Amino acid sequence: MFDEPYRWIDAIHQRRDYIAEQLERAAPVIGLSLPEGILLATFHRQNPKIFEIYDRIGMAGIGHPADLETVRGILLNMAHVEGFQRSSSDVSIERLSLFGLAPRLKSAFEDISVPPIILDVLLAEVGRTMSEDRFVQVSFDGNISRGTDMAVLAPTDEISARMIRALKEAPRDMETQKLTLEKALPRLRDIFLRTLYTQEDLGTNDDGAIVSPDRYALCDKKLTEERAWEGVLLDRDNPTCCRHIPLPPSENLALSGKSR
Amino acid sequence: MMTGHERIGGLPPTRPGYFPDLLKVYQDQTLLKGSRREEGDSFLSGITHGTTILAFHYRDGVLVAGDRRATASNRIMSNRVDKVIEIDKSSLLAISGSPAMALEMARILDHSLKYYRRSQLTEISLEGKIRILAQLLKDNLSMAVEGIGAVVPLYIARDPETGSVRIYFYDILGAHFEGVEFSVGGSGSPEVQGILRYLDRWDSRPLREYSRDEAIVLALRLLETASYFDSATGGVKGQDPVYPVIKLLTPETLETIDDRTISTIYKDEVIRVR
Repeated sequence: MFDEPYRWIDAIHQRRDYIAEQLERAAPVIGLSLPEGILLATFHRQNPKIFEIYDRIGMAGIGHPADLETVRGILLNMAHVEGFQRSSSDVSIERLSLFGLAPRLKSAFEDISVPPIILDVLLAEVGRTMSEDRFVQVSFDGNISRGTDMAVLAPTDEISARMIRALKEAPRDMETQKLTLEKALPRLRDIFLRTLYTQEDLGTNDDGAIVSPDRYALCDKKLTEERAWEGVLLDRDNPTCCRHIPLPPSENLALSGKSR
Repeated sequence: MMTGHERIGGLPPTRPGYFPDLLKVYQDQTLLKGSRREEGDSFLSGITHGTTILAFHYRDGVLVAGDRRATASNRIMSNRVDKVIEIDKSSLLAISGSPAMALEMARILDHSLKYYRRSQLTEISLEGKIRILAQLLKDNLSMAVEGIGAVVPLYIARDPETGSVRIYFYDILGAHFEGVEFSVGGSGSPEVQGILRYLDRWDSRPLREYSRDEAIVLALRLLETASYFDSATGGVKGQDPVYPVIKLLTPETLETIDDRTISTIYKDEVIRVR
């Protein structure tokens, strides 16, 4: 049935469209390199999206929970066997993605006789300094992209670009000119609100200014009621165990006195 | 229908969260396959062994200590072996016997606990930790009975349910028991065991009432006594002082006593010329 090239290409196109459609509703995950370590953050509806993989290494995935669990298991196994047989410092996201995950995802994507893996993956590796922090994204077709200071795993490039723009505008620490955990967290809440809710729902104008604080507050309330916050820090000072970070109140609500 | 693992080339399922199973898939179980040895083999005399380890309850928690010597027959292979290993923030493994096997076991145990936590998304229970070590010892049985790689460890861990610190000792088959007041291991242990029993029973107060400083002094004196009678236990030599490793595990903290402190206590409390 798929022995003719055209039919195979057509099937691959359909597969790509099908997976993209399935990923459409996924809430994005943000990865941020901070002086304290790497923060991975999202708001999930049902199932957690962020996991510790190995010393210094975390992962996040958007897509089907069963596929996320499968890939998580593969990464965990690879990392622990590699770390045991060699050294923990030999385990890197570059090797995990390049030699482990990407070829497998590519094969699975191109094998049109089996159900597709519906999953995009973000891997993060905290270094000794911020300049050594690494992000690698592996998409469902096995494509790899890399980053150093921040990464957004989102269903579309447009959402990803918008969130990165907002992250770059986040206020820096006056002294170091770096984004710190304390300053990043309230901003993240706002960025997720603006990503997950429409401008109309939020009561913001075209410039992003809040014109209806009540609507904004309502969305903020819905956000935490309908979804669960996940904030995981790959701690630079304690790289063998990641730390869960609680969600602070919204900075905009705090400013307008509507913080719950 | 293919499973997710089959679709993207994962591993066959193993016992969930059990790291040694995973290792068996990848390797011909380097730990711990015995080899038949012929009568009169002489290479066994070159196998390195380490002693002496001890652990006892004191007022704040448990003190764990070990000398630093590893020997092969009548040769001293090293005087800088670390026999008290931090497995995680709430448990210690003290090793006596074959360092090769013991360090491998410590490494497997360390990875097993992390692997369990990361894969099962919860901490393994204390009983689970103890059983993993028991299984590793059982798997090592053929090496142990051949005289190549016997390991007799002490496992000291916080009990999350009671908040107390417990001492467990093992035999080479993997049977484990709780050392209620103290446990010892290695060739220098008979002297240490005798003294601890005597002090706990007939001293003016039991070991559990010893202060932190008193416990450290006692540990140093015990290891010094062991080294006096047992050549495989390392002492502290004047020209090249290497001090025993002493760690204190309490319900809240895990502390390693630094060499400077040990050196001072050693000079003041252990070296006494009558």
